[in-house]
Amino acid sequence: MNLPVPDAAGPEIVTQESLLLGAAERIGRIRQGRLAVQVFLSRLRPQNRQDGHIRIALRMLEPMVNAYRGQMFLLGNSDIVFMLKDPNPVDVENMIFKLRALFSKDPLTYDDAGDGMDKFCAWFDLGGSDYDSFVDMARTVTQQARKRQTDKGTVKPPAKPLDAKSLGGVLERLSSLDVSPLVSRQSAIVIKEASSTGEVLFQEFFVSIAELQKALAPDINLVANRWLFQHLSLTLDKRVLGALSTLALRSIPNCYSLNLNIATVLSKAFEQFEEKVKGKAGLSVEVQVLDVLADSRGYYAARDRLREKGHTVVIDGLNELTLQFMDVSQFEADLYKVAWSPEMREGEHSDSVGSALGILGVGKVVLARCDSEAAIQWGQERGIQRFQGRYVDAMLAAFTMASCPKAAGCTLQQCIARHGVLTGPLRSACFDNDMLDSSPVMRVPKARHKEA
Amino acid sequence: MLPPREERPTNSQQRAIAQRLVGQESLLVDYVQKLERHRKGRRAVVVRLSGLQAVNRREHHIRIALNSFEVLVKQLKGQIFSLSNSDIVFIFKDTAIDEVEAALVKLRFLFSDDPLLADEGFAGKATFMDWYLLERDYDALLQYALHCSNEEQQRKSQELTKSLVAQQGGARSFGRGDPLTPQVLSKIEDGLVRADLANMMRRQAICAIVGKAPPQPVYNELFISIADLRETILPNVNLASSPWLFQQLTEVLDKRVLSLLNKHDDRTVAGDISVNLNVQTLLAPEFLTFDDNLKASMRGTIVLELQKVDVFADLGAFLFARDFAHDRGYRICIDGVNMESLPFIDRERLGIDLVKIVWDPAMAAGILPNGDSLESYMRRCGPSRAILCRCDEQDAIDWGQTVGVTLYQGRHVEAMLAAEAARARGVLGRRR
Repeated sequence: MNLPVPDAAGPEIVTQESLLLGAAERIGRIRQGRLAVQVFLSRLRPQNRQDGHIRIALRMLEPMVNAYRGQMFLLGNSDIVFMLKDPNPVDVENMIFKLRALFSKDPLTYDDAGDGMDKFCAWFDLGGSDYDSFVDMARTVTQQARKRQTDKGTVKPPAKPLDAKSLGGVLERLSSLDVSPLVSRQSAIVIKEASSTGEVLFQEFFVSIAELQKALAPDINLVANRWLFQHLSLTLDKRVLGALSTLALRSIPNCYSLNLNIATVLSKAFEQFEEKVKGKAGLSVEVQVLDVLADSRGYYAARDRLREKGHTVVIDGLNELTLQFMDVSQFEADLYKVAWSPEMREGEHSDSVGSALGILGVGKVVLARCDSEAAIQWGQERGIQRFQGRYVDAMLAAFTMASCPKAAGCTLQQCIARHGVLTGPLRSACFDNDMLDSSPVMRVPKARHKEA
Repeated sequence: MLPPREERPTNSQQRAIAQRLVGQESLLVDYVQKLERHRKGRRAVVVRLSGLQAVNRREHHIRIALNSFEVLVKQLKGQIFSLSNSDIVFIFKDTAIDEVEAALVKLRFLFSDDPLLADEGFAGKATFMDWYLLERDYDALLQYALHCSNEEQQRKSQELTKSLVAQQGGARSFGRGDPLTPQVLSKIEDGLVRADLANMMRRQAICAIVGKAPPQPVYNELFISIADLRETILPNVNLASSPWLFQQLTEVLDKRVLSLLNKHDDRTVAGDISVNLNVQTLLAPEFLTFDDNLKASMRGTIVLELQKVDVFADLGAFLFARDFAHDRGYRICIDGVNMESLPFIDRERLGIDLVKIVWDPAMAAGILPNGDSLESYMRRCGPSRAILCRCDEQDAIDWGQTVGVTLYQGRHVEAMLAAEAARARGVLGRRR
């Protein structure tokens, strides 16, 4: 592979793109039998195009590119372009097939654009009619790269990943930080078919990690290391429980929902919080799949203890993939929180998710991250009644405004934002905090059932 | 894990010296680096007091040695560094060479009865001191300074834990110890860079055991003995006290293990082996190097063992790594599956080759916590796809055979192998 010259001086910065353009121009007269392919890895979801993924993709292609005396370029946007001389097209087809299979969990490889174009890669027959468009492409990406280079100075450097060394300091700061201004809330609703009403199921109280990062360590990416973040969350649990215990809420929700580690559920801090809300509000505890697998024995103990006290046990962190690759019903929890994603609507995926939900029992599912009406509709079509997400926030705010006497002075966005906080200026800006805290029963449209 | 070894108490003098000399190593590094552009006409001499016998390098000896340079230091003719291993480094200008020589004569006399100096002079050996001409030997001096500084850091981190242990007092019972905190983890990570992991590498066979036939090794698991690691780097730290930090430690270890395997001769990696890795490691450059270094001809079956938590932490990444590893001819095994987590591990659905199940005497009842039968799980998993590990007793194998398990690993299996080897030797011996 061609490596860029790091920090080369001079006005013309050497990039992979400019090397590509150079190579494309050089072969102008000897392009007979040459083939180029651009693989659009830039179109993958961010979580599917991290360094590791790209590294492996390059590795897969390397032997073939070498075998056909080719050249390979990794563009700044993660696209890969390779050029080959007199390749056997079957080899190339096979390799692209393999590569596509590797990324088969990303919509890029299965989404149908509807125009017959392959969104995953583009082939250029350089000996034939595609040479000009190839050079055009190289020119365009070179310009884009140059622009990125010049923009670089204005973009602030990315936060450093959390490491063991910095975690010590972060934990120390966290243990003395008042997290109550950082606590947000979001309601989940249950839509009752029979009465066509929607009411609040619980209010989830949580700390937004982006806010936490801002307050604790703006220059450190707290979620860059999963294991260290999990460790951090143990301390965070205690801080949140502490904040909620001391926070004087104007009106207590019908049911609290908290994200906690299993270890926290079995701790003194949780017991104290339990005492505090006893008899005043319900309590539901959300535990992560990861945590359950790390300590299954602890999970079963915690679950039984929570149930004994009449609390609800929710398994959080489920998505399309977890539903597909594990028997989630084995958790034997009260509710399962499944994150909605637009891919769930796609034919094959919809079917597999649908059947997994069937095994789980749609009556136990909370469809989370519903940020559009389509999400609610998809859920309702499958018999799901419990929803959470930004769209639900908007529904609740709209309903509040419809009956709030002071609504004339506010916008929907303001009302949504104010619903989400417990203290601070946002909340003070609301003219009627009682309306804000109320858990209204909403009229909702009847679900349109999917014809079987 | 083995209980931690008894700590040898450092004597008060050694501790006092160490205290007094804190930071000299890093000062030396700084100073040498500053001299980079002022090498001309400068020399350094390292007096290797560390090579003297212990009786000859008590605190007062070192003080006397330092004193012989004191005049020169006061006259600003040179700079002295007294390292915690007792070595003395004196860096000075050429013009002071005679005075330095004189000081060294005194030192030689002082320690002349030590074997280190007794050998000196034979065949040009000069073990007591090393000379550096900065103009010529600058790099070597810098290397030496960096080496000392690294050693000192490592020693200090060990010292710190020891003193922490001492503060909390008393002997600890087995399995307890100081909690694994981010600070401790960070020290372990630093220590790992220098630790020699090669002698902590262990292997244990995964064997097929069918009926009464002796165990047949199928492949060997290579792993770092965590007990040894703890002993070497940070004794008295209870690594199990924080599962998430431990998980992070394994990611760091992964890379060290891979580089170790890369360095090793082909015999280590030859044949059929398994190694424990994290999903993220499979996507890291270190793994690609490892993959490169495996000669195609030498490559046997390599099983990559992934922890269940790691697999489900990011299923997307796991599926990606799985497909890549399969494409490269590796097999994948999910490790650390206990009775409670067994129902979540559907081998076929996850598209993996093997499941390693931790033996638990409670399994003898044949029922999983969710009421399902273990036998039907094993049947679904496939008879040669489940490995029963941590078989420390014959019961494990007896039970495993009733539910159709054929692959076993553990201390008892090792013992059976050893007994079988002894028997075979006996048979051969008789034949002769």
